[in-house]
Amino acid sequence: MKEHEDKYMTEHNDRQIRDALKQSFPPVNIELMRDLWPEVLRKLDARQVGVPWYDWALVGLSAVMFLAFPRLVLVFAYHL
Amino acid sequence: MDLLQRFTHGEIDAFETLVRQFQGDIYAWTVRIVRDPGVAEDLTVETLWRIYRARHRFRPDGNFGAWARRIATNLAIDHLRRNRPEQSFPTEPAGVAQPDPLLQRETRERIQQAFCRLPAKLQVAATLALVEELPYDEIASALGTSVGAVKLRVFRAVRILRKRLSQAGIRPE
Repeated sequence: MKEHEDKYMTEHNDRQIRDALKQSFPPVNIELMRDLWPEVLRKLDARQVGVPWYDWALVGLSAVMFLAFPRLVLVFAYHL
Repeated sequence: MDLLQRFTHGEIDAFETLVRQFQGDIYAWTVRIVRDPGVAEDLTVETLWRIYRARHRFRPDGNFGAWARRIATNLAIDHLRRNRPEQSFPTEPAGVAQPDPLLQRETRERIQQAFCRLPAKLQVAATLALVEELPYDEIASALGTSVGAVKLRVFRAVRILRKRLSQAGIRPE
C-alpha cells in the first residue's frame, strides 16, 4: 500500500514538473525570418581564404637564412 | 546526376539549393533546443557550413534532412555545454505555490535556471520531449540514439530537476 502511494506521489510530482516546464518555457517562433544563404556563402569564402603555401615557404627560407647568416639581417634591414 | 550526388561532389549550386530547401527546418529544430532566435541563426549557419565541409561523408542515397538535423543537434548540445549558467542555484525556501504573480515569475525563472543547469544531453532530450512534446522516435533520430535511451534521459532529467527544486523549496503547481 505504501509502495503504491509512493509511486502515485512520484508520478504526480513528475507530472507537476512537466507542467511547470511547459509554463516556464513559453513557445518559441520556429519560423526563419531571413535567408541565411548569403551568410553561409560568406563563411565558406572566409574559411577558404588562407595563406598560400609559397608564402609560408618564403618565411621559412628567410628564417633559415637569418639563422645561418645573421649579418644578412642588416642587409635586409638596409633594403627595407 | 541528382542534387545530392552533385552536392557530395562539391557543386556549390547544388549546395545552395539544399540550403534554401533545409535552412528553415534546421533553424526550427535548433531554436527549439536553444530557445534564442539569434543564437539559433548563428548555429544554423555553422551547421550548414559543417554540412558542406563534411559532404564527402554523406551517402547520396541517405536522408539529408536527418543528417543535417543530427549535425545541428550536436552543435546545439555543444553550445549549451559552453554556455551553462555560472551562478549556483540558491537553496533557500522560496516560491512555494504563491498566488503573487511576482513570486510566480520568480519561481518560473528559478525552474528555468535549474533546468539550464542540467547536463546538456539531458536538457536537450527533456526540452524536445517535455516542452516541445515531439515524438520520441524523432528525438532519438536527431540525437543518434535509441528511443529507450531518450526516455531514460528524460526520466533522469525530471528526477534531477525534481530533487533540485525540492532542495530549493520550490514546489511547482
